[in-house]
Amino acid sequence: MRRTAPLIILALICALLISVGCAVTLGPAGIPIKTLLSSPNTLMIFWDVRLPRVITAALVGCGLAVAGTAMQGLFRNPMADPYIIGTSSGGALGATIAIVLFAGNGRPVLAFLGAMAATFTVYFIARSGGKIPVETLLLSGVALSTLLSALLSFLMYTAGRSLHQIMFWLMGGFWNVSWNDFFIALPILMGCGGVYLFARDLNVLSLNEEDAIHLGVNVEQVKGILLALSAFVTGIAVAVAGSIGFVGLITPHLMRLIVGPDHRVLIPAAALAGAILLVWSDTLTRTFTNDMPVGIITACFGAPFFIYLLRSRMKA
Amino acid sequence: MKPIEIIGVDVSYGAKKILEEISFHADKGEILGIIGPNGSGKTTLLKAMTRVVARDCGEILLESHDLDTLGHRELARRVAVVPQDISIGFDYTVRDIVMMGRHPHIGRLASETARDVEICEHAMRLANVAHLVDTSVHDISGGERQRVLIARALAQEPQILLLDEATSNLDVSHQVEILNIIRGLTGRITVISVFHDLNLAAYYCDRLLLLKERKVYAIGAPADVLTCENIREIFGMETLVRPHPLTGRPYVLPVYMQTTDVGVNRRVHVICGGGTGSDILYLLRAAGFTVTCGVLNVLDTDYGTSMHLGISTVAEPPFHGITTASLAAARKWLDRADAIVVTAMPIGPGNLDNLRVLLDYPGKPIIIYAGNGSARMEDYTGGEADAVLAEIEARGALRVEGAEDLIALLSKGQFGRE
Repeated sequence: MRRTAPLIILALICALLISVGCAVTLGPAGIPIKTLLSSPNTLMIFWDVRLPRVITAALVGCGLAVAGTAMQGLFRNPMADPYIIGTSSGGALGATIAIVLFAGNGRPVLAFLGAMAATFTVYFIARSGGKIPVETLLLSGVALSTLLSALLSFLMYTAGRSLHQIMFWLMGGFWNVSWNDFFIALPILMGCGGVYLFARDLNVLSLNEEDAIHLGVNVEQVKGILLALSAFVTGIAVAVAGSIGFVGLITPHLMRLIVGPDHRVLIPAAALAGAILLVWSDTLTRTFTNDMPVGIITACFGAPFFIYLLRSRMKA
Repeated sequence: MKPIEIIGVDVSYGAKKILEEISFHADKGEILGIIGPNGSGKTTLLKAMTRVVARDCGEILLESHDLDTLGHRELARRVAVVPQDISIGFDYTVRDIVMMGRHPHIGRLASETARDVEICEHAMRLANVAHLVDTSVHDISGGERQRVLIARALAQEPQILLLDEATSNLDVSHQVEILNIIRGLTGRITVISVFHDLNLAAYYCDRLLLLKERKVYAIGAPADVLTCENIREIFGMETLVRPHPLTGRPYVLPVYMQTTDVGVNRRVHVICGGGTGSDILYLLRAAGFTVTCGVLNVLDTDYGTSMHLGISTVAEPPFHGITTASLAAARKWLDRADAIVVTAMPIGPGNLDNLRVLLDYPGKPIIIYAGNGSARMEDYTGGEADAVLAEIEARGALRVEGAEDLIALLSKGQFGRE
């Protein structure tokens, strides 16, 4: 562990608190903080609209980043993200079914169930003889995602007037988030805490699986637990906010550059950075772009940044 | 109580048997080398000992504990593995990697203690990587990375250390450096190592286990296991096994013989000495000639060569001139030879008779072979040897420079038995 690690974590905690502070005072209503807290009407905007939305965005960002960190360590693959094994396509299909068949009722529940079901289907397809080879897992993830996307396209094709709603949901966002959603998102913290308990195992696993066995890691068990935790966290995130891309892919990379690859530091650092990233992305879209889906913002900033990282690493 | 005992173990991948009826044990503090050709199951045997691959049957006991009853962490506290060079994807420092060796000792909710740090530092000193502690594993050489992996294994504080061709990818100086570190550990730690290089195995191991086609072919002291016969049987290759001149350990020299049959049914008698005949004895033999040789002194290098090649040779005891009896024996070979080859040997009073005797064979084809070295024979007889040589050449002996020309000439019809 690098000596600067505790300082960086501390700085990130401060940054998150400041970000949340800024985010709740910024908004399309353009009300100064003093007036915001003075009248009951505007206090309601603060208390029932902005605060749950900002904190939920922070939780979702945290969850996606931690799940991404776990996946990249587990698969020893820097391209892995929380959606890699079909989680997001499963969630999207679940949500679309809710929109098309049940007029949007039970959307979060179906999204969560879809995400979990897709992940475990992939897990059991890839499993043979008590082992889950990483390559098979990734490939079956790609295959199942393709199938689910086809089903999704079919539903969208037949959706008629709900098409707009589906598109909006697929792009991800926090426009209708209430305290209710916050409580749905709260177990993300438990999932992240669970992942953190396996930080040292992830360090060892990120070398290679055989080495991890030699160092006393029960590899298949740890893999199963981490996949389950990631799917759980990602499933909740998808249920609450749709599929928001790039946060889970980029945040671990960025933090690895800053704090190093040790998961005991990397996981909390990525959790905090993911939260900050999504709080600001959401604040941007809410304040300046008339509540455009936040997935557009994260992809717009995320993709070029990722290409930049890739290029600079190739040069090094 | 043996540190590790393997009893009747079979391993297969799918329907394919990889190991069969493997039984052996390691003694406390020894280095046991596992050798054998590619595909004989060496690496799989190590993997069975760490449960990376499952066995079909048989038992593995660690200090009388059944391997299968040990938990993952318990096993990693007893047995550590140094793999062949592994690629490390993430940018860990040497300290991070070595500290991973403490993983099986630190509980899930605990963090590393001062004692863990101390053990890692000690391990790094033993493996000679203490100076690299804060360096990234991406910025060190292959040899250094291998030593880091040794330090990591030592940090596990194992009773048994397994090495899977841990030095195969390194150049010879790094191999020796690493194996010397391993050698220094024994007494405390039992080492079982897969070797590719038979000579490193012979030097560093107390005992060797030779695998052939999934089974144990031989086990024992290097001198008993590394014999010409065993190596021919296992690797299908001719070798010379000699004691290493400095260590006395067996040393395996490959015989790079590629046999042809251009010389079959032709007899050649070679007169040589002082090492000038070794190459041509070997090449004539490889070309299928029936070769005889002499008279030689038993201390002569050429005598050693002719013995290894199984060539009929007339020899004298050390520091002895050529006796009449020996000369008579040599004449028997000369009588039957289709051709006689004389190498550019030094000639003194002790072997002058080898040359003189040729004057009695005016009809035989005689070839004076200069080899790739000096064509001139050193004359220590005060001119007598030169005179004899001149006489032989005057009678039609040929001078040939290269070995290939010599073989080509000897395989031509006119030198054959008509």
